Amino acid sequence: MNACLQALRSVPTHMDYDGQARAEKLSRVIITLFGVVGLIWGYVIQQFSQTIYILGAGFVMAAIITVPPWPMYRRKPLDWQKPQTEAPAKTKKKK
Amino acid sequence: MHTVLTRANAILAYTLSVSACLTFCCFLSTVFIDYRANATLNTVKVVVKNVPDYSASREKNDLGFLTFDLQTDLSPLFNWNVKQLFLYLTAEYRTETNEINQVVLWDKIVLRGDNAVLDFKNMNTKYYFWDDGNGLRGNKNVTLTLSWNIIPNAGFLPSVSAHGSHTFSFPAEYTTSRV
Repeated sequence: MNACLQALRSVPTHMDYDGQARAEKLSRVIITLFGVVGLIWGYVIQQFSQTIYILGAGFVMAAIITVPPWPMYRRKPLDWQKPQTEAPAKTKKKK
Repeated sequence: MHTVLTRANAILAYTLSVSACLTFCCFLSTVFIDYRANATLNTVKVVVKNVPDYSASREKNDLGFLTFDLQTDLSPLFNWNVKQLFLYLTAEYRTETNEINQVVLWDKIVLRGDNAVLDFKNMNTKYYFWDDGNGLRGNKNVTLTLSWNIIPNAGFLPSVSAHGSHTFSFPAEYTTSRV
């Protein structure tokens, strides 16, 4: 049970900053594209409901591609500096 | 955009904004369309009675009875921003007491996809043609007009009158027999 929980926790669920920016941009592009295509198609067949259905398909697609933290949004992790070992010594002196 | 929920919220909000924008485009594409059409109206049988109007004053008022023919083709009126048409037939006339009298005699809803080529023969009216006095007997100038409301997905709710109306006159004598 404990091992199971630990395995679950080790699954990374975050996006790095670059990944967040790309996810947002991608979702905007997908929804706008489906909206424009839906508008043209709805105008051609004169059915506004089709426009809304196509936009809904775009929403579903954007939700699948950009809402879960897929590994492709984790390719540019931040370069953290190494922890400095002297700092804790200083605080000890003050005390 | 750092958690699943914020991302889901963002794309939902953006989808709703886009749908509002598309609806506005749909409205813009139909706002300048001329929704008038031709209609041919004719009256077949016209009688007038003088009977008590129990729904109002109990005094004897004029009650007109008529049957009418109606031919019109409304299929060009439908487009992606029209859900249904509400047709109504009005009679307009002038009496000594009122400059303008308007009575709705009949109406009909035509949904998109229904047969919009209407050809009615000898139709009865749906609603009573009451006058609020004795203005119908011998009235020489009663005009029937077909009008319609256009019920859109988005935008205005225009009320349009058809080209072509029919003017008829009521007989000079009351009918006493059953109609």
